[in-house]
Amino acid sequence: MADQELARDLGFLEAYTLGLGTMIGAGIFILPGIAAEIAGPASSISFAIGGTVALLAAFSLSELATGMPKAGGSYYYVNHALGSFFGSIVGWGMWGGLMFATAFYMLGFGRYLTGLHPDAPIVAAAVAAAVLLVLINYRGVKETGSLQNVIVLTLVGLILVFIAFGIGAIDTELLTPFFPEGGWITVAGTAGTVFVTFIGFEVIATSAEEIKDPGRNLPLSMIAAVVTPTLFYVLVMLVSTGVLPAEALAPDQTLVPISLVAEQYLGEIGATAMVVGAILATVSSANASILSAARVNFAMGRDKILTEWLNDIHGRFQTPYRAILVTGVVIVLLIVSGLPISTLADVASFMYLLTYTLVHVAVIVMRRADPTEYEPDFRIPSILYPVVPIVGGLACIGVMYQMRPVVQLIGGGIILVGVVWYAFYAKERAISTSLVGEAIAPDEAADGGDVYRVVVPVANPDTERTLLRYAAASAADRPEETELIAVNVVEVPPQTSPAQVEEDRVARQSELLARAREVAADLDVGLRTRAVVGHDAGDNLLSVIEDEDADHVLLGWAGPRKRSDVLFGSTIDPVLERAPCDVTLVKDPDEDLGSIVTLAGKGPNAPVSARRAAELARAFDASLTLLNVQPTAEDVDVDPETVGRETVEDIVEAADLDDEEYEPRVLVSDDVQETLIGTTTEYDTVCVGATGRSTVAQALYGSIPRRIVESADGTVVMARGEVRTPRTLREAIVQRLSRR
Amino acid sequence: MTPVVADTVVVPLASESDARETCAVLREELDPGTRVVVVHVIEKGGGGLDKASVAQREETAEDVFAVARGELEGFDVETRILYDTDVAETITSGADDVGADLIVFSPRQASRLSRLLSGDVALDLITGTDRPVLVLPSGEGS
Repeated sequence: MADQELARDLGFLEAYTLGLGTMIGAGIFILPGIAAEIAGPASSISFAIGGTVALLAAFSLSELATGMPKAGGSYYYVNHALGSFFGSIVGWGMWGGLMFATAFYMLGFGRYLTGLHPDAPIVAAAVAAAVLLVLINYRGVKETGSLQNVIVLTLVGLILVFIAFGIGAIDTELLTPFFPEGGWITVAGTAGTVFVTFIGFEVIATSAEEIKDPGRNLPLSMIAAVVTPTLFYVLVMLVSTGVLPAEALAPDQTLVPISLVAEQYLGEIGATAMVVGAILATVSSANASILSAARVNFAMGRDKILTEWLNDIHGRFQTPYRAILVTGVVIVLLIVSGLPISTLADVASFMYLLTYTLVHVAVIVMRRADPTEYEPDFRIPSILYPVVPIVGGLACIGVMYQMRPVVQLIGGGIILVGVVWYAFYAKERAISTSLVGEAIAPDEAADGGDVYRVVVPVANPDTERTLLRYAAASAADRPEETELIAVNVVEVPPQTSPAQVEEDRVARQSELLARAREVAADLDVGLRTRAVVGHDAGDNLLSVIEDEDADHVLLGWAGPRKRSDVLFGSTIDPVLERAPCDVTLVKDPDEDLGSIVTLAGKGPNAPVSARRAAELARAFDASLTLLNVQPTAEDVDVDPETVGRETVEDIVEAADLDDEEYEPRVLVSDDVQETLIGTTTEYDTVCVGATGRSTVAQALYGSIPRRIVESADGTVVMARGEVRTPRTLREAIVQRLSRR
Repeated sequence: MTPVVADTVVVPLASESDARETCAVLREELDPGTRVVVVHVIEKGGGGLDKASVAQREETAEDVFAVARGELEGFDVETRILYDTDVAETITSGADDVGADLIVFSPRQASRLSRLLSGDVALDLITGTDRPVLVLPSGEGS
């Protein structure tokens, strides 16, 4: 089911909190001490550098994640773009990085426990916590979205309180000298250490498949999930180094630096709150890392770079228990290895910096190779490409270069594991082809410019052809290139997997779309088809409309509904209410249009209706009448005929009609509505504009269109123009970002 | 025992061994010609980080379905993966969707602790549905 689209259920907010949950974690409670000791007050700049490097990576990751929404994240993209040699390195690198990061979190956890009770032995507590976490994940506890939100909110709240009260307590004397003795080199090197706090946002990329409108929500949530903690961290560092001298924060002076800082101005309660927050954060970060590691294992196993044995799912617990156990064993070994806590953090950072370097390369390779299946919903905007991947990649390498030799040595060791593994295991088995060659000598393909797109949902084989002809009629008059998009949605119940639709429904879908292609070939119009399987046809259609940047959507309509909760139909209502483009509903479509009448009144959509009517009249060689009915004048000075003619002329101008292609008809009556409805029955086809802004409500309760639909025997076309609502700042930014 | 009379039965299966045991019993009890809808529920966190990636659990589901199809050869077998946060509720509404008149399952052995932690799916399934439920003896030696 290659061209089926999975229904998605994570919005911006869900994706953002998911990312934030893993980002606002352990790092911020442990790292200030380590960073302050090395870089002093300037360590806030180290955090800013780390955040910037992560932000650049977020751009490249967003493009790759929307282009290849697959489990495994960076590993998958690199393996796919650069081949299994680099895939093996990144796979092992991420796995190793996550193990080191978890060991780091757990040692941090041990220190916090000591903060609560001075006699708790750090390493033993760390091991115990790691074992407990591994067992919990082996067994599998459902982590619900709401629990995650509570944790995220608590942490954000604690940090905000810390910052808000701390800023007032800053002693500016302590902030001078701002820079450490080593100057910028030291500051940049420290950025490497703190980068471990920024590895969490990758989790958003790995959920790409489940994110709604990924072209928008994925980059936005990723960028927000990087920027928010970066700001927090910079401020936290300023407060920490401004409240206490850097030396007092050093790891050998205090186990929980943030708590010590908070104690200065929030007292005992503040200190304890910070320790509790830190414990919460370490556990949630470590938990996310263990789960992420298992996902990397799974993706590697699927590409045959690792043995599938590791990825067995437990029959009772539904967990990847073997992967979790193996990861857990290594984590415990790392904890007891005696490596200092800062080295653990550095190695984790190093491995992720390496990963993101290759991610940046992968973007360039994918762009150059441009394989047909690579159609990311989000592309790095052209003014930022190729600057972002090049600068981003160099920045990662730069930070790695500044890191301590021991870190580079361990990192190199993990890379070597990846290389050796590739040579002796993966090379023979891996199923992956590199696109590097394609990237160096790409096929040149022309890109379409501005195209007028008409989306036509097709569901009924009887009306399919006619609807497509109507859509073609609308496209025919456009000066620019045009394209029809026939889309069919197979709606599956909410709990059903889109991947598990009955075969006959899928067969029916492909039949419908195949027919659409035949019709298009007959009519000699460009047509693409989209097969969608989703939980909600209306929502699914809307995302296709947005995705295709459609100018017009034309739907068949079965007629008024008896049910009170839907006005036009549960599928049509959301499209009519929310589609940004022109919308046309057609009831009883017929290829023999005969005489067409369009209501030329004062309604906001009367010109659109006239335009649709004219398009149809031209394409089907039908007659066109613009009908206006005026009330009998009470005032002798006003000639209703003249008013009516002027109204019709306004519409002719707005709809850009030629004089010879329509008949004006103005009637004067005591009962406008009755006359209008009575007159329309003289014609074969009636076009009417939807009334008012709140389309659905007014089209229904504004009684004229409704009564026309009820009394007409022939085709009824109801048109609505595009909706121009002022863009919010967010939408404007997104539009800028995604402009191709 | 007389064959179970039903037009459509829904059979939630959790694992390959569950599929083997449940379907082996089912094969004996069901009237041939019964439409059997085998479902596997992928429990979602609703925004949280799930215990394994969806893609990985979908692969597992396919393995479970393969076993079920093998065991139930000759029957009209359909398969479905359902995704939601509440397993029992999902099975019930899945049964609704396919118009099933019977739900058949073997309860999985669960410790008191895990019942406390993640609820008792079997109990929820029996109490939370509006149609007949057939509980097969658990194969895990109870």
